[in-house]
This record gives sequence, structure tokens and C-alpha cells, in this order.
Amino acid sequence: MMRITVTVNGQVYERDVPGHRTLLHFLRQDLGLTGSKEGCGAGECGACTVLLDGHSVNACLVLAPEVDGRCVETVEGQAKDGKLSTIQDAFNRNHAVQCGFCTSGMVMSVQDLLVRTPKPSDDDIKEAIEGNFCRCTGYLQIIEAVRDASGRTEGKGGLKHA
Amino acid sequence: MLEDATPDTLKHVGGSPDRIEAAAKLTGQALYVSDMTLPGMLYAQVTKSPHARARIRGINTSKAEALPGVRAVLTGAELEYRIGLYVVDKYLLARGEVRHFGEAVAAVAADTLEIARRAADLIEVDYEVLPPVLNHMDALKDDAPLVHPDLGKYDHVSAVFTPIPGTNIANQSKLRKGDVEKGFAEAEWLIEREYTNPSVQHVPMETHVAIAQWKMGDEVDIWTSCQSPFAVRNLFCYTFRLPLTQVRVMVPHVGGAFGGKAGIHLEPLVACLSRKAGGRPVKFQATREEEFSLLPCRSALTYRIKTGVAADGKIIAQKMTMYWDAGAYADYAVNVTRASGYSAAGPYEVPNAWVDAYTVYTNKPYGTAYRGFGHVEFFWGLERHMELVAQVIGMDPLEFRRLNTLKPGSITLTGEKITPNTGNPTKCLDVVAESIGYGALTAEETAREKATGCKIGKGIAALHKAPAMPPFTSSSIVLKMNSDGTVVVNTGLTEIGQGANTSLAQVVAERLGFDLAKIRISPDKDTDRDPYDWQTVASKGLVLAGNAAILACDDLLAKAYEVAGQVLRAQPADMDHDGEKIFVRHHRDRAVTFAALAIGYAYPDGNAIGGPLIGVGRYIAQGLANLDKETGQGNCALDWTFGAHGVIVEVDPESGEYHVLKICSAFDVGKAVHAEILRGQAVGGMVQGLGTACCEGYIYDEQGHLLNPSFTDNKIPTARDLPDVIESVAVETPQLDGPFGARGVGEHPMISVAPAIGNAILRAVGCELTHMPMRAEDVWRAMNQAAPIDNWITKTPNKSCKK
Amino acid sequence: MLHEFEFRAPRTRAELLGVLADHGGLAKLMAGGTDVIVNLRAGGIKPRVVVDVKQVEGYGALTWSDTDGLVIRPATTINDLLRMPGLRERFPLLVACAHDLASYQIRNRATVIGNIVNASPCADMAPALLCLDARAVIASQAGEHEVPMREFITGVKRTVLLPGEVLDRVVVPASSVGARGGYAKLKRISGHDLGLVAVAVHKHGGELRVAVGSAAPTPVLVSGLKETDDAATVVAAAQAAISPISDLRCTKEYREHMVGVYIRRLLREVA
Repeated sequence: MMRITVTVNGQVYERDVPGHRTLLHFLRQDLGLTGSKEGCGAGECGACTVLLDGHSVNACLVLAPEVDGRCVETVEGQAKDGKLSTIQDAFNRNHAVQCGFCTSGMVMSVQDLLVRTPKPSDDDIKEAIEGNFCRCTGYLQIIEAVRDASGRTEGKGGLKHA
Repeated sequence: MLEDATPDTLKHVGGSPDRIEAAAKLTGQALYVSDMTLPGMLYAQVTKSPHARARIRGINTSKAEALPGVRAVLTGAELEYRIGLYVVDKYLLARGEVRHFGEAVAAVAADTLEIARRAADLIEVDYEVLPPVLNHMDALKDDAPLVHPDLGKYDHVSAVFTPIPGTNIANQSKLRKGDVEKGFAEAEWLIEREYTNPSVQHVPMETHVAIAQWKMGDEVDIWTSCQSPFAVRNLFCYTFRLPLTQVRVMVPHVGGAFGGKAGIHLEPLVACLSRKAGGRPVKFQATREEEFSLLPCRSALTYRIKTGVAADGKIIAQKMTMYWDAGAYADYAVNVTRASGYSAAGPYEVPNAWVDAYTVYTNKPYGTAYRGFGHVEFFWGLERHMELVAQVIGMDPLEFRRLNTLKPGSITLTGEKITPNTGNPTKCLDVVAESIGYGALTAEETAREKATGCKIGKGIAALHKAPAMPPFTSSSIVLKMNSDGTVVVNTGLTEIGQGANTSLAQVVAERLGFDLAKIRISPDKDTDRDPYDWQTVASKGLVLAGNAAILACDDLLAKAYEVAGQVLRAQPADMDHDGEKIFVRHHRDRAVTFAALAIGYAYPDGNAIGGPLIGVGRYIAQGLANLDKETGQGNCALDWTFGAHGVIVEVDPESGEYHVLKICSAFDVGKAVHAEILRGQAVGGMVQGLGTACCEGYIYDEQGHLLNPSFTDNKIPTARDLPDVIESVAVETPQLDGPFGARGVGEHPMISVAPAIGNAILRAVGCELTHMPMRAEDVWRAMNQAAPIDNWITKTPNKSCKK
Repeated sequence: MLHEFEFRAPRTRAELLGVLADHGGLAKLMAGGTDVIVNLRAGGIKPRVVVDVKQVEGYGALTWSDTDGLVIRPATTINDLLRMPGLRERFPLLVACAHDLASYQIRNRATVIGNIVNASPCADMAPALLCLDARAVIASQAGEHEVPMREFITGVKRTVLLPGEVLDRVVVPASSVGARGGYAKLKRISGHDLGLVAVAVHKHGGELRVAVGSAAPTPVLVSGLKETDDAATVVAAAQAAISPISDLRCTKEYREHMVGVYIRRLLREVA
């Protein structure tokens, strides 16, 4: 067991963890922050994406002891004062959510993107979420939501009627 | 129920209100079974077979039992229970013999996941490895080993399914219409080919997971990530011979399903572990790897089609033979076989038709329902075939399809007559053809070809599907009015991401004339609380539950009007209502609020009438019956949803690499109830279809080991894999018995994406693909007419799939 | 869920080398963890101690100088490399290979050195480092020694590293600045995937080099070609150097074919 001190969504936590505990397991089981999901446990699907010192990472491929003294942001830290974040709001408005299991990780990847690239191109968006699998939406409405969150409204699709 | 549609005045239906549970999912607050822990909960793990087929000579569990923290160990020896949807052929844990790679042979529940895993690894199984039968065509041979020697003894739904004891055939479905041999004799052309595809994994982002607690007095509580709580409850009770009152199934948010969670899977085993552990709750969640082989997949298919075409291009006879690879257990595969069999000709009229569809057991992970229920698979062959037939007879493929589509007056394979309200496949084809500029390249496209050295091709494919469900399928809705005049909707239809809750809320708000904000529909489902719905499958949810919702609204209003009539001293016929109150039509100030009526109307002196307002609605499919087992004739379709995809593809003729430049998808949905949710289904399904078309599939070695049970070697499309341009179009030919004219469209977008791409590749580089997925290498091989790679074990295995 | 192990995060190189010396083959070095943790989860390795190298003083440094060239140390992630100012101008091939490695999140964790030490035939960083004449500096309690990158990987998941040794840094010489290069990778989807076969082409001072991934037990370097050689000559030289197999990802024949396709494509693109 090792004692770690970690700041998660601005709150400081001190916990004893075994060396082999992953950050994802730590967040979900030890801290009860179950917003981050496990879709594969092998860094392929991105459902567990969180920010570690501001950078998106797969929480399943980080060991909990590694985050000692560092800052983690999860989807639970997005909404503030009872209001959805800009990204969450855009996802809602653009119907970028279906089953919701990829959503937390997707939102965190987009958070990382918009901090480093406030006006992303479609290619930037696709690159940023390429590591986040979504089996429901086909990604289009997610991409539209990211455009929307970055203040870009062109390219919005919509159902056509014939 | 079309008579209820008043398109000019619709306030909610047809719009795109916020998804009801979006905020919960976006904040991470939505609870999935994966996220749940209960007091005293144990964690389960299973020991799995490393062999495709082996006799179990013995299992030694002593080391596992001795491990501190282990609370229950089970093997098949003490679980003499079988489960099965239609053919009851599967033990909870293998007994005597393992029948596929990854099959569970023992299970453990322990204080922690780590202890459970260690214990499961300590269980020693002594196997005698037996030669497996892996290829479903080999399994039909006389000397093939029998996957289920006891097939003749299994309970099965005999009104619908026909297992053939002494063979590997779990079911044979037949359809006979007209005289196919006479049709062939009259035909100008006869074209016969075979098309194949491997097993595919659903890949819900949340793997299968269940928590069960077997309590005192055989009371069982189950929390499960599933599609169909009532099906789980009923099948569970059948297996354990329990009355339905003793089992409660609860389904919170579900992280994707796609058919893989339609039936019953982990729940009975987890419940048995709980019973063995003295009633402590037990949780089991499959790893991603287990999702591929412990849990079921989509069946592989070999589809042989022989078509007779008259001189004018009309199809006059077609003989269709399907060989479905069930894998080790029949599960849904027998019903996939049946439903595909009666739809096998697609949205085309075939006057003389013959279908034999077989479900074949093999020693591979078993097949189940998967979005499209067989149609993704057989439409691959059918719509490639239509293209090749058109080519052979020298007719444009679009014209050939248009000539043969089902039109009002046409008779389907099962003898059903198409009406003007059945839907319009021809229009869907026309819409997508126009969108992609079918038939010719634009100047811009020609210039692009010159600049890139790539070839551009345009292809189309049509599709159709009716819900595959028993003719007596029903659904019900209960509306409970709160004392503030808001309404709670109870339904057994689950929300699995498809938007059922939001769409049902729209229907209820529309029918009641209430604001959407007044409608509450719980994200979770509970067999004790919610009224019956058969299953959340088959694209039937909106139609059946939607109609039930309309009737429940009418019932609620009628009851409210009855009380209001006394309060206002008016007849129901003389009253009207808005979202707040019921009033006398010509004296609007004589009114009583719904809030005042909701739990009983109290006069100023306290004297009261009425009581809590509860509206009940039920709907059952009208006029359907089982098909005749010998001829397949009858009326089996709740509704037919037609559609088409048009695709522009760019192919590198040197490498076979290709990219979809544009796809347009059109579906005759009757009425688009929620435009953005519909588009989400259309695009999401299309991209899932793209995965099936381009890269997904199970790959085995010659011993039947699954070689790609993970995302490392089973890729699914990412955001980078989208076509450059995506269009979704709703055609709206109203369905007479659909809510506001609507039809289901959950599965359809995935169907026929692959053949549309295959047809476009044919146009681009002239190669004929008969196997999907179409990997770049497959295209390259087809262009060079080299032998296809065969590492799917859909044909005779060769030695190309060494690990 | 991972099996139990002890986690160590030494702060100095001496401490790191001490831990390695103490535990020998039972210690597993971890940098970004994107291969190691995957392997731990799959049970492919069962070390007693996992040693995180990222806390070691100086291991986060990524430096460039005209004399020493580019020095990449164990904690340098792929995205650290991609964010380094001026890198694209100096080493375009390095950027091309780094950019094609896995997904964005993975590139935030995966390290250049980890990618090399993992020694997969499909390691994306290998083709660039081979072409650019990179050198591997290996440290142990016995001291430091250097091997050329082309000798570092010896087989599938095998390197020259011995127990107790660490790949302390990779040095890309300043003399490789000015080279032009490109990278092409065959994948099963357009999104992140490991290379079914991958080709790097490198032109520098009249010399042409080709490196091929996933077509032999190790990434393969073909050097000594001339920029003026025609495509057929280059393809033939590459084909002679590789020994691809058929596996579940694709066949030997297609790997061979695509090596030719990509060489021709890159020769056109890399002016």
C-alpha cells in the first residue's frame, strides 16, 4: 500500500492504494466517481478518458500511485453551479448522446481539444476523439456538437424529408 | 394509428426536443449496472474453456475453495439447469463437454474481483480435446461430429421451429410460393451465386453485466444491463421453475446493446452463485475479451441465390438457401433463420420463390440477435446479387431494382399484399440515387480521378425489414397523474440509447396536449413496477408502445373527463382541455385543473369524488399469425420499413484501399417522430454497417481458437472512418397502424451499407466481391482475381490463419 | 484488473539502477505504461516490481543542440515530441511517424523510448529512428554504452537490453537535419490501428533509405540506396530485406505488395 494525495476536480483526496491499482479503478471504486467508464481496460476505447494535469489520458492505463501529487479532472467536474458546461450543453443540444457509455470520456477528450485548439477544424476534432469509440451515434452529431461548442455553426446537418 | 395524426397541428411529434436522460449521461450521474455496488456484494469470475470442443474428464476446485475470501464455487456438475429462448440447449456451465472456445466451465464468487480471478485461475479442468466442427458447411456432412447429440430431447417451441435430431441442424425454415421450377423453365436468364460473411461482435461499450441476489424463500432480485427485463424474468423463472412473482428484474441505464443483450445471458449463473454464497448479492461483468466469446455474437452466413429473370428484366423465380452458423447454441439464431427466411428476397416481388433456411450448430461462440436480425447478413448477398444479375442481363442496376420493387398490389414472399400505406422502396432508391448523382461521374469527380489516380464508383442498395416477433407480441403503458397535474409514464420498454423514452414522452405529450416538461418517464425499468412489454428489440418499440401510449392517454383523459363532468356539470362531449385544465367548451371559465382532479377531486367541504387518475393502454399487433411451417405463407409483419443507401466510393486501383466519399441513406419511416434521434439512428446504424462492411469479423485458427477477441485485432469504426459527406433522408408514407403514422427504424440503417459499398467498388474498379467484410486486401485480391484469403472459417479452412 | 506488484518510482538515475540491480529480471520498467499495463492486464508479464522511470530526475528533458543533436529521454511522450518547437523542420520523418502512433490520449502517455524498448515489429517510432541514424545510450550500474538503433531491436519484443540496464536516451544526430522523409502505414481502419505494414522513406544528401515495419521480426532498414535510384530498384532492395508472414491481420503477399505500393507512393511524395 502507498499513501497518495491527489486533487480530483479541485477536491483533495488522500488514500492508501496498492501499487497495481489503476487510476480508473481508483476513481470508480475508491472515490466512487463512476462517471468514467471501463470499455476495454486496454487503452483502445477511450471510455475512461480523464485529464491528468490537463492532458487527456486513458485512466485504465495509469497506475494510481503515479498520480500522487497531481491533478485529475473527470466528467464529474464539468458541470458547475448546477449548470452544464459549454461542452455538455453543446452535446445535449446536438443530440450527441445515445447510450451514454462513451459520453464521459468523449467530453473529456473534447475538453482537452478545446483548451489547446479553441477553433478546431473537423480534422482536429476527428483526431481528438479518434481514441474514443462510440458504437451508437456514428460520431456525426458528436462532431457537430464540438463545432457548436467552439462557436462554429456551419456544417450542421439535419434530417432531410423527401 | 393514422387516424390520430393531424400533421398541421402537431406540437411535439416531429420536433427535436432534448433527450430526456442526456443531462444525466453527460454529467456521469446516470447509473449503469457497471457502476453499482450493493452492501455485502461479491464479485464473480469464470473459468473458461481454451478448447473449441473437449470432453470434461474432471474439474478440481479444491485450490479455489481453499483461497481466503472465496464464498462460492460452482461447476456444471451441480447446475442441472438449461436455458434457451426457442431451443433449450444450453447449460449454465458446461456439463460433460465444452462446445466452444471461451465457454464457461466453472464460476467463483469472492470478496474482491482480484480474489475471484485468482480463484478462477486455480480451478483445474482436465480436458480430453476432441476434433471440433468449425465450418457450418462441414457440419452438414454425414460424418460431421454432432455438437448436440441430444438435440431430439431438448424442449423447443415446436409451433415455429423444427430441429432435426441426429444432425447439426437446430432449425429448418421453409417457404414455398408459386412454382419455382416452372419459373426457372420460363426464365430468359438463370444466375446463381453464393455469398458469405463471418460472425461479428456487437461491441456495446458497456459489456454484459449483472448483479443478482437470491434471497430467502427463493425471492430473486436481478439488476442487469439488458434489453428485455420481462424476457429475462420469464426465461429465468422457466429455467428454475419459479412463479413470476418471485423474480424481479431491474434495468437501469444500459450502455449499448444492439441485440446482444436481447435475451438472457449472465443472470442465471450469477443468481446461482448468490444462492450458493448464502444469498449475498453477486456481480459479474464480462471483460471486453469475454464479451467476444463467453457472450454471443452475430451468426456467420452462407447464402446461395439462384434467380430466374424474364426477357423484360422481371424476376420470375428465385431459389434461396441460407446456412446460418449458430455456433454452439441455438439462442436467437433459429429465429434469425426464420425471420431472414421469410424476408430473403428483399423489397422485391418474386412470383415463384423457394427458401430453405438452416440453422447449423458448430463448435464456435454462439450467435444471437444483432441489429438487423439477419438482414445485414443476407442483404449483403442479396443486394450484391441484384447488382450482378443486372450486369449479366445488361440492365442498369437501379432500373432493374425499380422494375422489381414491391409496389401497391405486389404480393410478398409470405403472401401479404402491399398497400399504398405499406411504404415505398422505389422512392427510397430514387432519393439516394439522385443524391449521389447515380449513373455518371461529375466533371469534378472525373478531375479528381485524374489528380489522384484513384477510381470513383457509385453504388446503391435497397433494404427492408419487418419486426421479427411472435404474432401475439404486446406492449402496455401506465400513466399516473401526480397531484400537480404532471404525468409519470411507466413502460417496460427499455432505453438503450435508441431514444425510446424521449419519443414515447413526445407521443404522450402530443396526445394529452401537455407540455413535454410535464411528462416524466423513468430511465430505469422494473418488472415489479412497469407494465409488460415483450422485448426491446426488432424496431417495434415505437409502434407497439407508442400505440399503447396513445390509448393510455385516451384512458387517462376519459377518466379525468368523467370526474370533471361531475364537477363542472357537463357531459364529456361538451368539454375540452388544455395542458392545465378541463373546461366547458363554450364557457372556458367553467374549468377544473388536472391538478385538482389528479388524486381525487375534493369539494370545499372536504367531500371528494374520483381518485388517483391512472390511464392504462395496451396494444397488440393486429391480424398476425404464425407462418405455415411447410410453406411459410401467412401474415407475419407488423410493418415493413423500406430503405436504401447510395454510396460514392474512391478506390486505389493499385492497393485496393478505398474510402467512402459520400453516403445518402433514405428510410420510409412513415412519420419522423423525433428528427434528430432519427438521424442519430440513421447515422449510427450506417457507421455500424460500415464496420461490418469494411473490417469487422471473427477470425479463428484451425482448432477453433478465436484469434481476435479484443479491440487490438477487432477494429470498429472511429471518428476518422466517417464518409466525407453523410445525408439522412426520411420518406414519410404513413403507416395506418403506426402512432402518428410512424414505423420502426432502429435496425434498418445498418442493413445494406455493405452491398452498397460493394456495388460502388464494382463500378469503380470492376471487381466482384462475394465475401464481406471487404478489407483493402480483399479488394486487391478481387481486382487481381487471386484466391480470397480465408481466415474466417466460413469456408473450408486453409492454412492461411496461423497465429 | 492487474495482478499484484510493488510500484516503485525512483527519483534519481542511481536509485533507478539500484532498483534494477536488486530485482534483476523480476523488475519491469514502465514509462508511459501504454504497452506495459496492457501486457500486465493480459497476464503476458508478471513482474514483482514495476518501476516507473518518469520521476527520475532529468528523464523528462527533451533537448536539441547543434552539437549533440536531439536527445530523447525516457519520460518524453510522443506528444511532447510533437509539441517541440522546430522539430517538424528538422526531422519531418520523426513527426510523421510520431503522429501516426495510436490515438491522441495514448500519445499523451506513450513514450518514444518505450515504443523502442517494447520492440514490436510494428513500432511506429522505429522506422524514423532507423533512417535518422539514431543511437541508443544504455545505462547500468556498470556505466554507459552506446549502440546504433539498427542493432538495438534484435527480435520480436527483444532488444539488446540486459537485466539491470535501461535505455537512458536516444540521440538523433544533428547531421540528420535536412533530410526529407515520409511515412505510410497500412491500417484496417482510418482510425488508430497498429501498422499491418509500414514504410518510411528518407532522402538525405543523395542517399536514400527505406525502413519497413511489420514485415520482419524487427523493423528493417535498407540503406545505401541513392536518391536517383528508380522505384523498381528501391522496391527490389526493400523486398529482399524483408521476410513478412501471413497472420490474422493480412497475408504475406499483401504485405509484400503494399511495401512496393508505399515505396512508390512515398518516392513521389517526398521530393
